[in-house]
Amino acid sequence: MTIKKGISLALLVIGVVALGLVPRMGASESLLNLLILMFIYTMLATSWNILGGYTGQVNLGHAAFFGLGTLTARMLYTGGCPLPLAFLVAGVVPVVFSMLIGVPAFRLRLRGDYFTIGTLALSQILYITIGNVLPKITYLPMADIQNYQILPRYYIILALTVFTIGVAYALVKSRLGLGLVAVRENEDAAESLGVNAFAHKLLALAVSAFLGGLTGGAYAYYQPSYYFNYTFSPPWSLEPVTMTFIGGVGTVHGPVIGAIFFVLLKEWLVLRVGEYHLIIFGVLFILVVLFLPGGLVEAWERIRRLVARRTTVKATAPTACAGGNNLPGN
Amino acid sequence: MDFLAVERLTKFFGGLAAVYQVGFTVQEGEIVGLIGPNGSGKTTVLNLITGFLKPDAGRVTLAGKDVTGLPPYRMCRNGVARTFQLTKPFLCCTVLQNVMIARTYGRNPAPNLRIAAEEAMEILGVVGLTGKANFLARDLTLMERKMLELARALAARPSLLLLDELMAGLNPAETEEAMQLIRKVRDSGVTILVVEHIVKAILGLSDRVIVLNMGQKIAEGPPQEIVHDPHVVEVYLGKAHHA
Repeated sequence: MTIKKGISLALLVIGVVALGLVPRMGASESLLNLLILMFIYTMLATSWNILGGYTGQVNLGHAAFFGLGTLTARMLYTGGCPLPLAFLVAGVVPVVFSMLIGVPAFRLRLRGDYFTIGTLALSQILYITIGNVLPKITYLPMADIQNYQILPRYYIILALTVFTIGVAYALVKSRLGLGLVAVRENEDAAESLGVNAFAHKLLALAVSAFLGGLTGGAYAYYQPSYYFNYTFSPPWSLEPVTMTFIGGVGTVHGPVIGAIFFVLLKEWLVLRVGEYHLIIFGVLFILVVLFLPGGLVEAWERIRRLVARRTTVKATAPTACAGGNNLPGN
Repeated sequence: MDFLAVERLTKFFGGLAAVYQVGFTVQEGEIVGLIGPNGSGKTTVLNLITGFLKPDAGRVTLAGKDVTGLPPYRMCRNGVARTFQLTKPFLCCTVLQNVMIARTYGRNPAPNLRIAAEEAMEILGVVGLTGKANFLARDLTLMERKMLELARALAARPSLLLLDELMAGLNPAETEEAMQLIRKVRDSGVTILVVEHIVKAILGLSDRVIVLNMGQKIAEGPPQEIVHDPHVVEVYLGKAHHA
């Protein structure tokens, strides 16, 4: 078990170092852009997964957190605020906003659908309101655009991505991870065993909103110009859901795999079928939910187990639900 | 002082009094049975004690402390654990994780996850699920799920354990096994309130029995007296039988 852990850790470090070295090895700017997109989508899916995957509270308005993050970071950054502070506030603002829906929905024990519809409504309200109040295109400061450097952006967003995955991993591997999953699996049973479901849902919401806002901060720092309300638009709510499910909901590595797969497939499809890629992703999402609810992680797990059965006589005990949960005790 | 005291507990569902003015006490170290026909309010009483329902009137005190209407998780941390009639395992977690959750959140939680895992394994040993520790809860049989339910409740380190029809659906051999286990739990210093539908199981287990019918307490006493109580015979078997 510890050897397996050591190997995973080593692979992880090698992966991050390799990503750090990519620009030094003469990577093209378009490759760096593609990687940055993967980083941002990984952050987006990972932040959604904490609440939607681990805690079972389906949020269909993640764009609100992402959008508020972009808005806050962009405003502060163009106003001359130092970058780290802009990122920090970009995370905090969505947390405050998330409590607007979280406190009433969770306190009144409006389970499931109420919260989901509430998040969808709030994100749409923000999308329309921002579109009316700020119907403009936002630009990075002139100095930044004239001298646009991809390299610092690549490294900073890579660091933010590692941070986001690290937070998700630490949370899930702690006692709190067990509590979140208990709330998802059965709220009554969780409460009867001492888990304060309300507090756990709020915590998951806050962490999800913070990391979602941070993702927005990364995007605002990366993208030279866009309409203010673009980052509040529905795709930013739906894509993290799609990516998380394709990768493997309720696992730490699932959203990462989902994001990489999603960005590559989207890139490939957009070039060939243009806007029709939306239909393909919609169908893919339905197929995954129906036939592979654990996503690519589950597919891999199934293959692994099939191979293991062929090579060893001893039947392997099933240790994974939809490809494992990365919780303590696994 | 009574370990658990329930006074004039009342709960209405719409106009129906599901539980009406029910009062009883449980002494430390007792196994008390709560019986009654379908719909007599047994589970409702249990839900009122554990905080899953808020009583419309009445009081619940635990070791002299008023705990009426506290939320379930606070009741658990106060030392009241329960099992559910329809088992509620965390299906996508392993058996070990199920028990670890209770060990890390219940009363006197383990200081860290390693110790929680060790103590969870010990408890799995008590209920005979050691070999299933790494199985998913969804892959367990009914008997195993019932035992997991008990293991989780025990992992919350309760001083008072409420068992809601733990033996329902088990075959006679399994019922006997479960009864042995419940006695063992009592001997380890846990006070137990057993809700059961099966009269036979509860009579062999309880020191004292409380009988509910239509939301009200109709009898209370040692098991041998209760089975001969004309009231009890009447609600279970009908009037003609008793005559």
